[in-house]
Amino acid sequence: MNKTTTGTAMASETSLNSTPALQNVRVLTLRDHAMRYGFLALLFGLVVYFSIAADGFASPISAVFIFQSVSITGILALGVTATLVVDGFDLSIGSVATTSMMTSSYVMVVLGGDATSAVLACLAMGILVGLVNGILIVYMRVPDLLATLGMMFLLVGLQRIPTQGRSIATGMTLPDGTVATGKFSLEFLALGRHRFDVFLPNFLPVSVVILVVLSILIWFFLEYTRYGRMMYAVGSNERAAQLAGAPVRVYKIWAYVISGVFASIGGILLAARIGRGDIASGNNLLLDAVAAALIGFAVLGVAKPNAFGTAVGAVFVGVLLQGLTMMNAPYYTQDFVKGAVLVVALVFTFALSRRSR
Amino acid sequence: MSFSRRILGKMAIGLLAVTTLSGTAFAAEMPKPFDKPGEIKIALVRYLSTGDFFQAYLAGVEAQSAALGVDLRILDSRQDAALQADMVDQAIALGVDGIIIQHGLTEAIKDAAQRAVDAGIKVVAFDVNVENPAIPQIEQSDRDLARLALEQAITDNGESWKAGYVYVAGIAPLDRRDETWIEFKKRYSGINEVAMFGTLDNPIANSVANQARSVLTANPDIQVMFAPYDEFAKGVKIAVDEAGLTSSVKIYSADISTSDISAMREAGSAWVATAATNPAVVGQVSVRALAMLLAGEDPGHNVIVPPTLITQSQLNDNDIKNMQELSAKLPQFAHADVAMPAWMPLP
Amino acid sequence: MVEEPVFRIRNMQKSFGAIQVLNGVDLTLNAGAVTVLMGANGAGKSTLVKVVSGVYRMDAGEVALAGEKFAPRSPAEAIRAGVVTVHQSINDGVVLDLDVATNLTLDRLSGAGTKLFFNPRRVRREAQKVADRMGLNFDMGATVGDLSLADRQMVAVVRAMAHEPRVLILDEPTSSLSSVEANRLFDLIDLLRSHGVAILYISHRMSDIRRLADSIVSLRDGKISGEFNGPDLDFGGAVDAMLGRKISQDQVVVQDGGKPVFVANNLCLEPGAQPFDLTLGDGEIVAVTGLVGVGKTALAEMLFGVRTCTQGRMVLDDKPYSPRSSQQAIKSGVFLVAKDRSVSGIVPDFNIYENTSLPFLKQISNFGIVNRKSERAEAREQISSLGIVCQSELDEMHTLSGGNQQKVMVARWLGHASRLLILDEPFQGVDIAARRDIANRLRGSAKGRATLVFMTELDEAFEIADRILVMSEHTIVGEHRNADVDIDRLLVEISGLHAEASP
Repeated sequence: MNKTTTGTAMASETSLNSTPALQNVRVLTLRDHAMRYGFLALLFGLVVYFSIAADGFASPISAVFIFQSVSITGILALGVTATLVVDGFDLSIGSVATTSMMTSSYVMVVLGGDATSAVLACLAMGILVGLVNGILIVYMRVPDLLATLGMMFLLVGLQRIPTQGRSIATGMTLPDGTVATGKFSLEFLALGRHRFDVFLPNFLPVSVVILVVLSILIWFFLEYTRYGRMMYAVGSNERAAQLAGAPVRVYKIWAYVISGVFASIGGILLAARIGRGDIASGNNLLLDAVAAALIGFAVLGVAKPNAFGTAVGAVFVGVLLQGLTMMNAPYYTQDFVKGAVLVVALVFTFALSRRSR
Repeated sequence: MSFSRRILGKMAIGLLAVTTLSGTAFAAEMPKPFDKPGEIKIALVRYLSTGDFFQAYLAGVEAQSAALGVDLRILDSRQDAALQADMVDQAIALGVDGIIIQHGLTEAIKDAAQRAVDAGIKVVAFDVNVENPAIPQIEQSDRDLARLALEQAITDNGESWKAGYVYVAGIAPLDRRDETWIEFKKRYSGINEVAMFGTLDNPIANSVANQARSVLTANPDIQVMFAPYDEFAKGVKIAVDEAGLTSSVKIYSADISTSDISAMREAGSAWVATAATNPAVVGQVSVRALAMLLAGEDPGHNVIVPPTLITQSQLNDNDIKNMQELSAKLPQFAHADVAMPAWMPLP
Repeated sequence: MVEEPVFRIRNMQKSFGAIQVLNGVDLTLNAGAVTVLMGANGAGKSTLVKVVSGVYRMDAGEVALAGEKFAPRSPAEAIRAGVVTVHQSINDGVVLDLDVATNLTLDRLSGAGTKLFFNPRRVRREAQKVADRMGLNFDMGATVGDLSLADRQMVAVVRAMAHEPRVLILDEPTSSLSSVEANRLFDLIDLLRSHGVAILYISHRMSDIRRLADSIVSLRDGKISGEFNGPDLDFGGAVDAMLGRKISQDQVVVQDGGKPVFVANNLCLEPGAQPFDLTLGDGEIVAVTGLVGVGKTALAEMLFGVRTCTQGRMVLDDKPYSPRSSQQAIKSGVFLVAKDRSVSGIVPDFNIYENTSLPFLKQISNFGIVNRKSERAEAREQISSLGIVCQSELDEMHTLSGGNQQKVMVARWLGHASRLLILDEPFQGVDIAARRDIANRLRGSAKGRATLVFMTELDEAFEIADRILVMSEHTIVGEHRNADVDIDRLLVEISGLHAEASP
C-alpha cells in the first residue's frame, strides 16, 4: 500500500542523511575488533591455558595430533560449508562417510580390490550421493533438510545390505559362510597411518596433509574463483543470482557434490585409520562437522559460512577436546563444552554481527 | 602345550561328530518329549539382531535346535521393545512349547514373559532380566570376562603398573566389568590408574582413538590399557600405534570378533589378550537350557556361560585368522560344559 | 437505488509518522448499491480499507453505521458490527487445507461459545445452506487448496456473507482473476446487491467498474477528488480525477531512435490477450507505462528469457532472438534491472563491488579466478559516474540508502555494453535526487543500445523517455513521442477506456 507516498517520504528522509561522510564513517571500533578477532583470541587463550595446565600439551607432537583428531570431521565440515554457502544443508555427510568406509572395506576385503580401486569407488559413491541429493533438492523440490535426512537413513541401511549387517574386516566370514580372501592393502592403510618426516621424523600424518590441502583448496575456490562467488550469491539471494545469469540449479547441485565427495574422503581416512569397515550411522561425525562449520560463522566475525572459519572451528573443538582429555575430564563434560562453544559462537554470529542488525 | 591342545582339539571335533551321529542314532533314549522332537516347537524372540555377535548367537541357536531336531521359529522385533512383547504373545498364540527371549527391556517384556509361563510354556531369557523365578537367566559373566583379562595383565606385568582405563558409565555390561576393575585395584595396590576416559560416539573406535591419543600424550608412561570392550580396545590400539608406544603399552580387553583377531595379530600389536564368550556357544546353551526345562529338568536359575581367555600368542601359535578357526582350534571356546545332561545331543 | 445511506464516513484522517495518507475523506455507501472506489497506487485506498475494517484506528473524523457511531478496535469487532472485508490477497480469506464446508462455517466454529466438538454432518448442512442462498454450486467436501483462484475468491466472498453483513468491502477482488472468472464473481455481487448489501468495490480496472458501478468515487492523495452518480456515469471524468491532470513536464531533449536494435512481432503475453509489435531503436529510451497488473513485468521477463515466449517472434540485431534463460539473454546483450531490488536484485551478503560485478564475473576472471583489482576499479568508476554516496566500493549494501542501493543495481548492468537494457520500475522507493542521477546517466549512456523502462508513474516516464508506450490488459495500446504528448489520450489509454473512446 501507498508505495509512492511512503517511497518519497523515505527518500526525502534518506537524502537528508546521505550527505557524504555523515552516513557511515567507518572507524574500527573496539567492538569491531572484538567481533573480528574475538574467536582467534579465545583460541590463543585456550592454547596458552592448556599449555600451562596440561603437561605435554605444548609440543609439536601434540599439535599435530590435534590436527589429526579433527582431520576427518574437519574435512566433512568443509564439505558441509559448501552446502551452507548456497543456503542449503547436508545431513547425510556422516552416513556418506561411514558408507565410504564400508565401500572401501568391501572393495578390498570382499572383492579383493587394491587401494586405488577402493579410493575411486568411494569417490564415485560420494559424487553419486551428492548428485542425488542435489537433484532431489533442486529438481524434485524436496526441502534440503528432508532430502538429506532421507539420504542419511537410506545410506545407514544401504551400507549393511552387502554384508547383511556384518562389519567388514580382513578374514571375515561372508553371509554365504565362506571366508573373505581380500585384505586391506598397505597403501590404503598408509592413508590413515603413514606419517611424513617433516621437522621431526615420522611426524606429519597423511590425514593432516589432506585436511590442510582440502582447506586451502575450498577456501581458494570459495573466496577467489567466480564459481565460489556465484555460490555465495546463490545462497544470499537466489533470485538475484538467477537474474544475474547464474545457473542457480547447477551451482546448488555442485555444492552437494562437493559435500558428498568431501564426506567420502573423510570416510576413506576413517577406514584407513580403523583398518576395517564398521557399521555406523556417522551421526557424531555429522554433528561435530556441523558444529565446526557453524563455529566458523563467528570466526573473523563474518557471520557467513566460510572455509577458513570452518577449519579454525574444527581446530578449536580439537584443542578443547585434547586439553580436556589430557586433564582427565570425563566424556560428558566434553559434549557439554562442545555445546557451550557452539552456543557462544552462534550468539557471536547472530546477536552481535553487524550484518544482522 | 600347544601341540597337546591341537590334539585335544582334533579329539573334540571327532567326539562332536560321534555325538551328533549318536544323537539321531539313539533317539529312543531321549527323555520325553524329545522322543518325538519333530513335534516340539520353540520360538526365539529377539530384541537385537544386527551385528556380528547377534549373527553368531543366532547360528548357535539354530545349530543346537537342529541337533535336537526341534522346530525353531525366529521372531525379530528389531529393537522395538513393545513389538517384542507382542511377539511373545504371538508365540503363545502359535502354541509353541518353549520360548527364548533374547535381550530386551525388563519393563516391557516382563509381563509378556509371565503370560507365557502362565500359558504353560517354558521360557528362558538371555541377557535380559525378566524378574521371574520360573525363567532361567542365561548370562555371559561380565565379571569373569574382566577377571580373566586382568589376571592375565597381572601375570604379564606383575602387580604394580600404571594403567589407563576405558569406561563409560551406565551401560550394564560395562558397569559389571567395572566392578571387577575396582575390586582388582583394591586387591593390588600397585595398580595406579592415571587416566580414565571413554566415549560411545560412533564410530567408537575412531572417537576412542582420539581420546586415547590425548591420554597417551599426557601420560606416555602408561604400561597397561584396560579396555573391557573390543571397540574400546580397537581405538586404544590405533592411538598406541600412532603414538609409537607399541613396545611399552599392553592392551587387555573383553569380547572378540574376526577383525579383533586380525588387530591382535598385527606385527607388534599392543593388544595382547582378550577375554570372550563365544556367542554361538551362548546360543547353544540357551537352547539346551530350554530343552532341559521341557524335559522336566532344572538347569538352575542362573545359567552362566564361562568366558575364555584368548591371548595374542595363542592366536599366532595356532594361526587363527577368524572366528571359525578360533572355534575350531580352541575347543574351550567352541564348547561350554553348561546345561549338558547326558542325553543332550551336540551340534 | 435506496437513498438512505447505510454507511457514512466524515473527514477521515490517518497519518503514519509525518506522512498524511488520508487527508479528510468523505464517503457514503447506500444499501443495495455498489460504490466503486478508484485510486492510483498510493492514493490511500488500502489505508482506508484497513481503518474501516478495524486494522488501523483513524486519527480524526467519524464513521457512522446505520446512524450509529462505528469505531472498531479490531477486525473482529468490525465484523460483529456488520462491516466485512474481503482483502486483496485471496489466500488470506480462506484456509487452503480445509474443505469448502469448513471454510464457509469457520468463523462460527472458531467463535466464542462454540462447543468443543463439532458434528461434521451439521457443518456440512449449514455450509450447504449458506452456499445455496448465494447460488454457490460447489462440492462441500472439496479442499479449498484444490480449487481455482476464482473459486477460492467465491468461497472467500460467500464466507464473508455468512456474517450477514450490512456493508461488504471488496479490495481489488479481480486482480488475480481472468475475465471469465471475474464474470462469475460479478454475478455473485449482483446477487448480494439485490439482497440489499451496501458494497464498496475497490478497483482501477475499467472493465470491472463499467460492469458493476452504481456510483464512482475517485481518491487521490488521500482525498476524494471526484464523485460520480446517476444513470450515465462519467468514467473518463473518474479516471481524470483519479490520476490528476497536473502532470509536470520536465523537458527532455527527445532523441529519435536510430537503426532498430530490437524488433518483435505478434507478441502475446497471456492466452487471449491482444498480440502486439514492438520496435526499439538505437540510442532511444522507451518508457512503458500502465497501471499495476497490466503485464509490464511479464513483458520485461519475456524479453529477458525468464518467462517463455509462447507466440510471436523477436529479432535482436537482425538475428532471431528467443532466450530460454537469463544466461542466454545476458549473452545476447539483453540486460534487466529487475523490479523490487531487495527481492530480485541485491545480494545482501555482498558489498558494493561484489554486487556490481555479479553478472560479469566471467569477463573479469582469468582461469576462473576473479581479478579483484579490475573488479574494484570498475565498481569505483560506476560509483563516481552515478554519484553513489558511500565510503568506498567495500561498503556493505545495508549501509546504503534506497536510492543508492538502486544506483548500485543500475551500475551492475551499465558497466558492460548491452544491446537492449531493460529497467523494471527502477524508481520504486528512490528519492528524487537519486532518480535524477539515474535518469541522467541512462540518457547520457543511451547511445549504442536500446533502452526500455517500465514504470507505473507517468511523471517518471516524462522525465526520462524519448517515447512512451502505454500498456493495458496485457497489450500495448498507445504510443507517444515525448514532445507533443496528448495527455488526454494518454490517460484514456492507461485507464483502458480507449476501446470505447476510439471508434
